[in-house]
Amino acid sequence: MTMPDALANKNVEGSGVRARVQRFGGYLAGMIMPNIGAFIAWGLITALFIPDGWLPNEDLAELVGPMIIYLLPLLIGYTGGRMVHGQRGAVVGAVATMGVVVGSDVPMFLGAMIIGPLAAYVIKLVDDAIQGKVATGFEMLVDNFSAGIVGGAMAILGRLAIGPVVDRLVEWVENGVDFLVDENLLPLASIFVEPAKVLFLNNAVNHGVLTPLGTIESQEAGRSILFMVESNPGPGLGILLAYMFFGPRSLRPTAPGAIIIQFLGGIHEIYFPYILMKPKLILAPIAGGASALMVGTLLDAGLVSAPAPGSIFAYFAVTPKGGYFDMLAVVVVGAGVSFAVASALMGFGRGERDEEPALPEAAAA
Amino acid sequence: MPSVNGADVRKVVIACDAGMGSSVMVASTLSKKLKKYDVAVVHMPVNEIPADTPVVLCHAGLADRARSIAPGAVIVPFQMFMGDPAFAKVENAIKGGGVLES
Repeated sequence: MTMPDALANKNVEGSGVRARVQRFGGYLAGMIMPNIGAFIAWGLITALFIPDGWLPNEDLAELVGPMIIYLLPLLIGYTGGRMVHGQRGAVVGAVATMGVVVGSDVPMFLGAMIIGPLAAYVIKLVDDAIQGKVATGFEMLVDNFSAGIVGGAMAILGRLAIGPVVDRLVEWVENGVDFLVDENLLPLASIFVEPAKVLFLNNAVNHGVLTPLGTIESQEAGRSILFMVESNPGPGLGILLAYMFFGPRSLRPTAPGAIIIQFLGGIHEIYFPYILMKPKLILAPIAGGASALMVGTLLDAGLVSAPAPGSIFAYFAVTPKGGYFDMLAVVVVGAGVSFAVASALMGFGRGERDEEPALPEAAAA
Repeated sequence: MPSVNGADVRKVVIACDAGMGSSVMVASTLSKKLKKYDVAVVHMPVNEIPADTPVVLCHAGLADRARSIAPGAVIVPFQMFMGDPAFAKVENAIKGGGVLES
């Protein structure tokens, strides 16, 4: 059931499709990732100062609402605008984002990811159209007012048209996610997420989709399991441990260093090559991730904010008070199942000639 | 096919998806090795590689994307993030003045 999926993705490798999907995902993640520090600041303040946090404090807890409603979407809209048209695009993108933020009940991450780049694209078109046609000495006047007018107009458009539509869209997506979690179907996500991950869609999946959704859920429920879908350091640890004990002998010595970088440093990319060179091993993180999510669903586990990078230290930092056992259960089950499956797929090292692993093409290039 | 002589390389770009994780790690190891040849090593997202970049190192899984964004650059793909032969190849080309090709 799962193999064809992994293989289908494998076959896409090398063609332009994969590069295009990666590129689009890169834009989504590129709006969120530079701002992860702000998500973490919000998460830490929330975990500390809300009524059932570590140091409940009413004054400081007032930061929580405005930070998630205004600061985070504005940063996303600003960054999205900057990607399209530099500093001017960033400013117009942030102004336009205000249009979708105001009047919405939910943090408008999705709205910001749409209207930020869109508004920047509009001012880019305007800039291109009037370039070279402005009378000498009037450049600053024209530049400032074109940005102001476009930004203001996009904010109005956002408030009246885009905001309400995105609001409804987010509601549907939230209901869909709730349904998956309530029906214990979330573990199925691993079937898609883990293969996507090793094809370097990890940031697109996690920060393009799961971080915004998880943050919305966390604001309402105080925690979200969506943060643990892609970033769980357990399954990757399981793979690397399996390589350490049962992998090809030439690769065994590389595993401990990779474990430090992956599990402690949170750079998951380090284990992708170990799967790409033995593609059937993708079953291990799928099984590990799905088991971890099953346990997480049953325990009602979750994190307060995005653990980024997906390091065990980041996990500890964003675990809600009283949620440590659940969090560790998710990580340990993910690692254990992934290790068991990967070890079995490698025959527990039996009959393992010290073959050079078959690297995919371009290895020697 | 773009190519460049290692002796002319003054800057090497390490690219990854976000330009914040694995590329930073690779860049910090490689810059220690290339410092003595007066070669700068920088990291960035694949999507933001400048078109005039001479040499780009990135994981083989991202090489297509790098090629479409910087068609004039020599793209050197690697498989492993540590100890890949590609790193030694680039270092040797810079040290001894060999030719690097995509």
